[in-house]
Amino acid sequence: MGLIRSTEPDFLPGTLEMLILQTLKRGANHGYGIAQHIQQISNDALKIGEGSLYPALQRLLMNDYVVGEWGFSENNRRARFYKITAAGRKQLAQERRNFDALLAGIARVMETP
Amino acid sequence: MMLWKRIRYLLNREALDRDLQEEMRIHREMAEEKLNQLGTPKEEAHYAAMRAFGNATFAQEASRAEWAFFFESLVQDIGFGVRMLRKSPGFATVAILTLALGIGANTAIFSVINGVLLSPLPYKSPEQLVVIKENDSLPNVMDIQRQVRAFSQGGGINVDRMDYTGGSEPVQVRVGQINAGFLETLGAQPTLGRIISPQEDAQGGPRVAMVSNHFWQNYLGSDPHTVGNTIHLGGNSYTVIGVMPASFAPPVEHADVFVSLWVGDPGAAVQRDVHFMHTYWRLKTGVTLAQAQAELAAIDRRLAEQYPAEEKERTRQLVSLHEWLVGDVRPALLVLFGAVGLVLLIACANFASLLMVRASAGRQELVIRAALGAGRGRLIRKALTESVLLSVLGGGAGLLFAQWGTSMLLALKPEQLARLSGIHMDTRVLLFVLVVSVLTGILFGMAPGWIAARADVAEALKEGGRSATASTMGHRIREILVISELAVALVLLVGAGLLIKGFSRLRSMNPGFNSANVVTMYLQLPPMRYGEIPKQTQFRRELLARLNSLPGVQAAMVSDIPLGGNYVGHRFVVDGRAPVAVGSEPLVQTLSVMGDYFDVMEIPLRAGREFTRLDREAQPLVAIVNEETVRQFFQHEDPIGVRIRWAGDTGLPRWMTVIGVVADVKQSGLNQPTDPAVYTPFSQSGERWRRFMTLTIRARDASPALVEEVKTQIWSLDGQIPVGDVRAMDELIAVSLAQQRFNMLLLGLFAALALILAAVGIYGAMAYAANQRTYEIGIRTALGAQRSDVLRLVMRDGARIAVFGIGSGIAGALALTHLMASLLFEVKPTDPTTFAGVAILLAFVVLAACYVPARRAMRVDPMIALRYE
Repeated sequence: MGLIRSTEPDFLPGTLEMLILQTLKRGANHGYGIAQHIQQISNDALKIGEGSLYPALQRLLMNDYVVGEWGFSENNRRARFYKITAAGRKQLAQERRNFDALLAGIARVMETP
Repeated sequence: MMLWKRIRYLLNREALDRDLQEEMRIHREMAEEKLNQLGTPKEEAHYAAMRAFGNATFAQEASRAEWAFFFESLVQDIGFGVRMLRKSPGFATVAILTLALGIGANTAIFSVINGVLLSPLPYKSPEQLVVIKENDSLPNVMDIQRQVRAFSQGGGINVDRMDYTGGSEPVQVRVGQINAGFLETLGAQPTLGRIISPQEDAQGGPRVAMVSNHFWQNYLGSDPHTVGNTIHLGGNSYTVIGVMPASFAPPVEHADVFVSLWVGDPGAAVQRDVHFMHTYWRLKTGVTLAQAQAELAAIDRRLAEQYPAEEKERTRQLVSLHEWLVGDVRPALLVLFGAVGLVLLIACANFASLLMVRASAGRQELVIRAALGAGRGRLIRKALTESVLLSVLGGGAGLLFAQWGTSMLLALKPEQLARLSGIHMDTRVLLFVLVVSVLTGILFGMAPGWIAARADVAEALKEGGRSATASTMGHRIREILVISELAVALVLLVGAGLLIKGFSRLRSMNPGFNSANVVTMYLQLPPMRYGEIPKQTQFRRELLARLNSLPGVQAAMVSDIPLGGNYVGHRFVVDGRAPVAVGSEPLVQTLSVMGDYFDVMEIPLRAGREFTRLDREAQPLVAIVNEETVRQFFQHEDPIGVRIRWAGDTGLPRWMTVIGVVADVKQSGLNQPTDPAVYTPFSQSGERWRRFMTLTIRARDASPALVEEVKTQIWSLDGQIPVGDVRAMDELIAVSLAQQRFNMLLLGLFAALALILAAVGIYGAMAYAANQRTYEIGIRTALGAQRSDVLRLVMRDGARIAVFGIGSGIAGALALTHLMASLLFEVKPTDPTTFAGVAILLAFVVLAACYVPARRAMRVDPMIALRYE
C-alpha cells in the first residue's frame, strides 16, 4: 500500500493545523463545525476539503494537541467533538510565531521592488 | 509516548476505522442539512454534499496513513527480511538451528528450574513453613508446641509400615503416625469427613484413621460413604473418619493412612529418646527464622538440662521448608543452568559471526542504499529486523527441542526431583523463550548492523568490492568471537570432565559388598502375634531354613540393608574404660543379622570369626564391629574379646563380646562416609520392637519366579505377612548413583553440544578468512610462495586462536569450577589432568578445523585467484 500524504496545495504545510487549533481555542467543536467556522470567518476564502481536514485532525490527535470525544450537537446529532489541550495551546502559540515571521519575511520580499 | 500510542492505535484499528467512517458520514449529513435549510431540493443537496466532501475513501486512507505509517514500514522490513531469508535458505537454516539448540537447551533446563525452584509449594502460605532438620520425639514436639511462641502451629509425622488385611493379599501400607497440629500446619483439608481432633490425639485415644485419596481409590473402592467404616491395620480395627484430597501429600513422606501416634504406636509415643518424627512448623506473621531459631536454642538448653540422658548434645536447626526440599538439588540445577547459558553464548557467537559474514557479503548493497540516502538508523533497523526474525524463529524451533528435551530430563530425573512433578511448559517458560530470543536477536544483530551502517560510503565505493585489505575491524571481531567460543567451550568441557571423573570415582567406589545377583525384600512381623522375641526368632529361623533349602539359593537377613539409608543408632559403653558423661557416649549404627549374612553379601571378614548357629539365645552375647569402629574407638587395642553394651540399657548390664571385625559397608549412599557399625544376632536381641527385617537372597538366577517362590514360602509360614520393597541390590546401587549420573549426563551433553558448536564456528570463521585471502594468497603464490608457506600462513591464525582461546578458557574455568565443588566426588575443582586433557582436546579440534580451509588455500591457483577478483 502506498503512503498518501496529502494537504491541499493551497495551504502552506502546518497552516491547517494552526487554523484548527485557533478555532478550537474558542471552544470544543466537531469536524463539520470547524470547517464551517474557518470558511465563514475567512469569507469563503478558505474552503477546507475533508480530504485534508480529517488527516489533520488525526495528526493533532496523535500529538496530543487535541482530544476527541463523542457527544451530541446543538440539534441533538451524534458527533465527535474536538477539544484543544494545554500542549495544543503551546503548539498554537509556537506556530503562530513561526507563521508571523514567515509572513513578515514574505511581505518584505514582495514589497521590495 | 508516540510509539506506545501508535501501538494502541494499531491494536484498536477497527474501532478507529469505524469512528472515522461514522464521523465522516455525519459530516456529510450536516452539510446536506444545511443545504436543505437554504432551500436546495433534497436529492440535489445530497449530491452537493457528496461532491463537497470529495473522495471519501481517499480521505479515509489519508487519515489512516497518519497512524499506520510506522507499522507499515515495519511490516515492510519484516517482509523484506523474510524474502532475503528465503533467498538464502542455507544461511537461514544454519542460523536458526544454531539458535534453536542454544535456546532449546536453555528452555528445557529453565522449565525444570521453574518447576522445582521457582514454583511455590502446594501448601497454604508456604513461605511461613519451616522444618527442624533433626528428627524429634513426641514428648519434645509437644514441649516445643507449648513453649515456642514464634510458631503459630506445628506438628510431626513418623511413617511406619503396617499390614493392611482387607484386600486380596496382605499388603504393607505406609501409615503416617502424626500428632495434632501436623495436618493443620500444612493447611490440609479433607475432601470427606474430618481430620483427627486434638482430643483424639491422646494416650488411649480412639482408633480413628484418615486415608489418602490413593488408598481410598485402591482399597476402599472410592466409596463416598466410606466415613464411619472400619479398616484393619496391623491387627487392629480403625474407624475411617476422613479422606484426604489427591493434591495433598506430606512434604517428603509417603503415607496412605494417617493415625495419631498415641494410638498407632503408644509405646514409642512416650519415649523422649525415640527421635523419629519429622516436624513442620508455621512461623507467626512477622516472626523471622532467626528469632524462631533463637527461641529454639533456649529450648535445646532447657531440655538438655532436664533430660541429660536423652537430650544432651542435641541441637535443633531450623530451615525453611522450601530450602529443605530443594536445597540439595539447587546447586546442581544452577550449575546446569549456567552451563546451558554458556552453550547459548556459543550459539550466539556463531549466530553473530554468521550475520557478520552475511553483512560483509551484502556490503555492496548496503553501500548503495547508504549512497542513495538511507539513514543509518534505518539500515541498523533493517539488519536488526532480520536478526530478530531469525532469533525468534530459532526460539520457536528451540521450543520444540525443549519439549523433547524436557521429557528426556523427566525420564532421567533422579529421585530427589521425583516428587516435584510440576515440570512443564507454562507462561513463565514461554516468556523466558520470548525474552531470550528477542534479546539474542537484538544484542547479536546489533554489532553486524552497526558495522554495516558505519561503512564509509566513499571509501567503500572506492574499494569497489575488492576486500583484500578491507574490514580489518570485522576480521578482528570475528576472531574475538571465535576465541570466546573456544574459551567458553573449554570451561564447559572442564566442568563435564570433572563430573565424569567424579562419577567414575564414585562408580568404582567399593560399596563393601557384592551387589550382583542379590534380591532383597522387606518384611515386618505384626506386633499382635510376634510381640515377643522368641516368637520372632522362631519365624526367622524357620523361614531361613526353608529358603536355604531351595536349590541355588543362599538367604540371610539384616535389620537395615546397605544403601537403604536407614539404621538404628545406639550409644555404647566399653567395659573397663573410664565412664563417659551420660548422653555423650559414642554413637554407632546397630544392625541385627541372622543366617550367613556376611557370606551372602560377600562382606569380607577382617579379624576374628563370623556368627555361627551357636551364637543364639541363652548363649553368651556376641557382636561384630566394622573397621570404622576399630579406627574410631579401638585404635590402640585389639577389639576382639572386648566387651561392650548399649548405653541406654536399664536393668542388668547386657555385655556383648566382640568376636570379629568385618569390612566397611556403605550404609547411607556411595558418596557418604562410612559410619561405625555394630552387628549383633537377631536371636540375642533385647529389643522387641525390632520386628522388621530385610531378606537378602543370593541366587544363581534372581528371577521373578524366585521372588514368587520366596513369597510362597513366607505365606506358607504365615499368610498374614505382607512382602514389600522387592528390589535387586544392583538397583539400590543405581539409585545411589542417580543424582551424580544425572548431573554428569546433562553437563556432558551440554559440553558436547558446546564442542560441536564451537568447532563449527571455528571452521566457519577460518574458512571465511581463508576465502577472503584468496587474492592475497594468489599474489603470494605468484611471487613464489611454496604450498607449505601458505599452509603455515593459515595455520598460524588457527594457532593464535587456539593459544588465546585455550588460555582464557583455562583462566575462566579456574575461576568458575569451584562453584561446582559440591557436585564433585573426590575430585578437586582444579584437577590438573582434566584441565590438561581438555586443553589438548580443544587444541586438536582447532587445528582440525583450520586444516581443511588451509588445504583448500594451498591449492589456490594464482591465475584463477587473480582473475576472480
